[in-house]
Amino acid sequence: MENGAANPIIVCENVKKWFGDFQALRGVTTSVEEGEVVVVIGPSGSGKSTFIRCINRLEQHQEGRIVVAGIELTSDVRNIERIRSEVGMVFQQFNLFPHLTVMQNITLAQVWVRKRSRSDAEQRAMALLERVGIPEQAAKYPGQLSGGQQQRVAIARSLAMDPKIMLFDEPTSALDPEMIKEVLEVMQELAGTGMTIVAVTHEMGFAREVANRIVLFDEGQIVEEGPPSEFFANPRHPRTKMFLSQILSH
Amino acid sequence: MANRPSLASPTRPPLWRNATFLKWAAQIGVLFGVLALGSVLVGEAMANMRAQGLSLDWDLLTDPPGIQLGEGIFIKPSTGMEAFYTGAVNMLRVALSGIVAATVVGAMVGIARLSSNWLASRLATVFVETLRNIPVLVQVVFWFFLASTLFPVLEEDSSGPIPGVLLVSRKGVSFAWPFPQETFWQWGAFLVVGLLTARWAYRTRMRRAEELGEDTRPLTWALLVFLAWAVVGWFAHPLAGAIGWLFMLLGASVGAIPVVVYQVLLALVSLYLGWRWIHRFLESRRSPAGLAKLTDDDYFRMILAGALGAGGAAVLMLLPAATEVGTNVVQYLLEFCDQKFEFLRSGAPLAIGTPSVDVPGRFPQIASTGLTMTPSFFGIWMGVTLYTASFIAEIVRGGILSVPKGQSEAGYALGLRRGQLLRMVILPQAFRVILPPLGNQYLNLSKNTSLGIAVAFPEMVQVGQTMFNQTGDTIQVILIWMAFYLSISLLISVLINYYNRRTQLVER
Amino acid sequence: MSAESFDLPLPPEPPPKVSRIGWLDWVRKNLFNSVFNGTLTAVLTAGLLLLILAVLRFVFSPDRRWEVMPPNAANYVVEAYPREDLFNMWLSLWIVAALAGFSTASWGMRGQVSVIKVVAAVRAIGATALVVGVLSLWSPAGSATQTVLVFGGVALFGVGVGAMRLVREEREVSVARVLAIVGALLVGLVWYMPLESGTTWPLTITALVVAAFHWVGKLVGQWLSDRLMKRVVTILWVLSFPVIYLHIQRNPSLVWEEVTSWLPWAGLLIAAGPAVIWIVSRAGREQAAGVNFLLGAVAIYSWVIQWPMAIRVLFLLLTLFSLATPTFAASPRARRAFYWTWLAGGVCTLYLFLAGIGSTDLATRGHFLGGINLTILLAVGGTALSFPLGVMLALGRTSSMPIFRILSIVYIEVVRGVPLITVLFFGDKVIPRFLPPGLDFAGEAKALLAITAFSAAYLAENVRGGLQAVSKGQTEASRALGMTTAQMTMLITLPQALRVVIPALVGQAIALFKDTSLVAIIGLADFLRVARDIVPNQPDSLGSILENLLLAALVYWIFAFSFSRASLRLEKRLGVGTR
Repeated sequence: MENGAANPIIVCENVKKWFGDFQALRGVTTSVEEGEVVVVIGPSGSGKSTFIRCINRLEQHQEGRIVVAGIELTSDVRNIERIRSEVGMVFQQFNLFPHLTVMQNITLAQVWVRKRSRSDAEQRAMALLERVGIPEQAAKYPGQLSGGQQQRVAIARSLAMDPKIMLFDEPTSALDPEMIKEVLEVMQELAGTGMTIVAVTHEMGFAREVANRIVLFDEGQIVEEGPPSEFFANPRHPRTKMFLSQILSH
Repeated sequence: MANRPSLASPTRPPLWRNATFLKWAAQIGVLFGVLALGSVLVGEAMANMRAQGLSLDWDLLTDPPGIQLGEGIFIKPSTGMEAFYTGAVNMLRVALSGIVAATVVGAMVGIARLSSNWLASRLATVFVETLRNIPVLVQVVFWFFLASTLFPVLEEDSSGPIPGVLLVSRKGVSFAWPFPQETFWQWGAFLVVGLLTARWAYRTRMRRAEELGEDTRPLTWALLVFLAWAVVGWFAHPLAGAIGWLFMLLGASVGAIPVVVYQVLLALVSLYLGWRWIHRFLESRRSPAGLAKLTDDDYFRMILAGALGAGGAAVLMLLPAATEVGTNVVQYLLEFCDQKFEFLRSGAPLAIGTPSVDVPGRFPQIASTGLTMTPSFFGIWMGVTLYTASFIAEIVRGGILSVPKGQSEAGYALGLRRGQLLRMVILPQAFRVILPPLGNQYLNLSKNTSLGIAVAFPEMVQVGQTMFNQTGDTIQVILIWMAFYLSISLLISVLINYYNRRTQLVER
Repeated sequence: MSAESFDLPLPPEPPPKVSRIGWLDWVRKNLFNSVFNGTLTAVLTAGLLLLILAVLRFVFSPDRRWEVMPPNAANYVVEAYPREDLFNMWLSLWIVAALAGFSTASWGMRGQVSVIKVVAAVRAIGATALVVGVLSLWSPAGSATQTVLVFGGVALFGVGVGAMRLVREEREVSVARVLAIVGALLVGLVWYMPLESGTTWPLTITALVVAAFHWVGKLVGQWLSDRLMKRVVTILWVLSFPVIYLHIQRNPSLVWEEVTSWLPWAGLLIAAGPAVIWIVSRAGREQAAGVNFLLGAVAIYSWVIQWPMAIRVLFLLLTLFSLATPTFAASPRARRAFYWTWLAGGVCTLYLFLAGIGSTDLATRGHFLGGINLTILLAVGGTALSFPLGVMLALGRTSSMPIFRILSIVYIEVVRGVPLITVLFFGDKVIPRFLPPGLDFAGEAKALLAITAFSAAYLAENVRGGLQAVSKGQTEASRALGMTTAQMTMLITLPQALRVVIPALVGQAIALFKDTSLVAIIGLADFLRVARDIVPNQPDSLGSILENLLLAALVYWIFAFSFSRASLRLEKRLGVGTR
């Protein structure tokens, strides 16, 4: 409110989360505007993945509050289901369903969750496959595709549900260098359409060019956040300086 | 912070939409349903039994059962307890000797299947494929009828294929066997000491080998130490009889304390265990930042642990009989051990008995001088042993094949000889793969001994069936069976898990 | 060759000619390649010869009564089934034969086998016969047997060797053709076998039915898509067994007056099903839950009050359908499929009920199931019934809900910890105690229940292995796509898990098949009991127990061995299929 937030679509307030006696999130407070592209960075084990997995309740936060698209994440079964169909997610390991073809991967949730007819779902799937550039792979099984192609199918699968928000959990970390580019291009194109994106990634080029805001996580909390120009040019926190020097030095 | 949004006050979801509530409601609902079904069925069974003049008491354990068993410790048991005891011992005889034999045969056949000798590998394959595809019951029945129809008839002057050593007849197979005498346990004490010192010697020699870098022959040393103790014990065992006094003392002190004291002690232990579990659980959730927020599953676990501890304590306090049985068993065991030891009792610990024929009336019998397998024992033993051996063979073969080829290549590249490679590289890795399924086969063999009922071998199930045919107490007998077999299964899986963990620790 | 563009100096050469290994070389290499192996070979050969001689002495001993077997063929297969109603049994066999023929068409018998292998098999059979024949000279075998063995062996061996020289190159024939030839030979053999009269024609018809339905299947396969065809075949197989065992073999006669009181209501319930599904699928989440709650309450209450059993079961089924509707029948297409599934399932349930409550018309001696027929019923029925129970237990054991987990673990571990025979005794002796006085199931039904309960625990452990093999990412991805737990389980986790454990499940089915022999102990007339007690105790076949046991062993072995071979092939094919 202080900065006159126009239209926050994700609001987190003092979010805490434990795994056994290990505290993964130590009170995270932030919000994301509609159409904003937020890139989350940080060392491994800093809680950044846990944070975005809390946003679509793959992990349950234990204290604090999260409101996504006006729906609060509580143990209300109706809210959980609604959140999941508003928020799409892309994983590091793609997690395509190996027993289904590419086409079936994309239509499955449309038919069973979005209750579309099969022909509608297939049309939509075909359009999305064209958008991510691999319409010719529709009849193949995931195991027959390259990593980059699989990740693009995974993006298409999420987009098919018409999400308002897309979460990316290190989408390029499991890819060979030459395939990273094709996935980043799709993400960049997506950002251009005004989609709200929260991405955990180590691709600093992407962060610099596409992101509206960079968030640095360490030890389960937000160390520093700000627009990329400011964040990279003059980081305030010493932890940020150290992190940037380490990842930018090579 | 740049973004500090303020949120509307939180709303609690209604109960019927609360995921946590629904989750537990469903579980408790199903649990309630299962318990309700169970109680309805038990109630119906009780009513039916009352109508038939039966009741769910345990008199069958103390009443004279009026049955006769084919073989075993008590052929004409005077109580049901004695009958089941006989059945249990008979079952263990088959199971233990079967496990040893099946392991030896199975390992040999499994290795033979990998042999470069064409004939050996083919014969091993035929052995495995034949035996594991025929129901074990068919095999058991076949061996029984083979022994009781094709073996030679027992005559007064029968002396078997190997006189003095092996006697084969339709009334059983008898062979020479070293029988423990009444001084055996005194000698056994020396053997135990021998084993412990042999282990110590082995370890010391191993350590020396590592320090000096030369072959110190640890195995030979260990064997020699053990043999030395065995030989010394053979002559010096009357001295070990002194151990008997220890057991006498213990037995007397166990009996002197009233049962209530044990009850209270055990109940306290039960409560303590529950409390300790909860305490440790909470400790594991405590971090420098304070106690982690507990989830509903965490609460459930703590409640369950507490309830189990308290429930155990309550049962112990309300049912003095349970504790009494326990102390009686302990006292009986101590007394039993006491009788086995007597200071300066002398005599050879082992005596070899040879098979012979006895003619008590008109018909010749196998005398009890040798170790005798009746046709029933022969049937069940051959059946379960060979059947299990065929599975063990496959497990051994699979285990050896599971070691990647790169391991032998690396071993050869380091200059290991074939024997060394096998002993130091292949077998340890294969053993780790073999052990869990091997334990499963031991379990299966133990359970398959229950097929003795088909050849009138008096093991647990046969004894139980004879009992309930007399008394009609089917439910009690089935509960006894379950308790017996579940304890055996638990015992074997605990042992296997223990060795499994040990080999895996060595591995890492 | 691709050498055009670069013109490298070394042209390819043919591989060096391998000189054929003579049999002496082979023996040296495989039997006498070291001192140890040489000794081993000698010892094993001697032992093997002695064993074969002992077996021959046993087999050809004048005490053996092999001749009791052919006249008892019907006893082995159906035991007490009234001989005047034997047509029912043939009909059952023909139904299975028709389905088998039909399935071979859709599952494809495109396998090829090299001619050399077939010829080598002939040669090996000949050689074996020759060796056995020569050894039989030292046994009490009749000279006719010896002559047939020796000369037949020589002839087959000669044919094999000769054919081997003719078909040098890699020729292949289809497995279907080989099977057809073997089948024709078997049918031919039937005409010369001294079986009970009246078996030659029915057996011939069986073979003809297989062949005929193979062609029918091919014809239908041209009209239906591959997927549809497979589905039809599966449904037919599933339906065939209850029809065979409840209707054809029991030959029930229904007293219509007894069912008229509830039959219209049952019909109404089935007809009302689609309406319920429609309402639930259209209603909002809470309203649907309300309807389902109401249905569930009535379904449970119906077991407390005295409703007819059929109505209770149908109502329970309807409740389950209605519960599944919000997650699985929301799209119009799925809803239509749901209507048809409900109608078909309801009619089938009703039919099974009507068939099941009718009293049998057969003139029986107390029971009519026995022999191999009963063994097959227990094996197939036990496998089929334990499958859903086992999957449910596995899901319970891997569930995130602790009470379900504890209940499943207790059940699985208790059942796996006790021998099957105690479970069978439990079924036989304790189930009647739970029922109202005077009411009891048939022994066969109780045994089937016990076997099902037993096998489900083992099956659950196999399925659990598969469920644990499905990566966590799969469940996360389905959750992220908004699937409910039920959808995730049915569409993502279970299909992947079951595919992994198919070989283990087949192994479990084989084990169950072997375990059915235990029902002989509780007095059912299964195949083993026929071979052990019933046939050897007949006055004209006394003293034939070992012969009968060997027959039993052979028959069990053939079934179990061929299934395990088929499973191995399946495993290989699946291994290739998974990418």
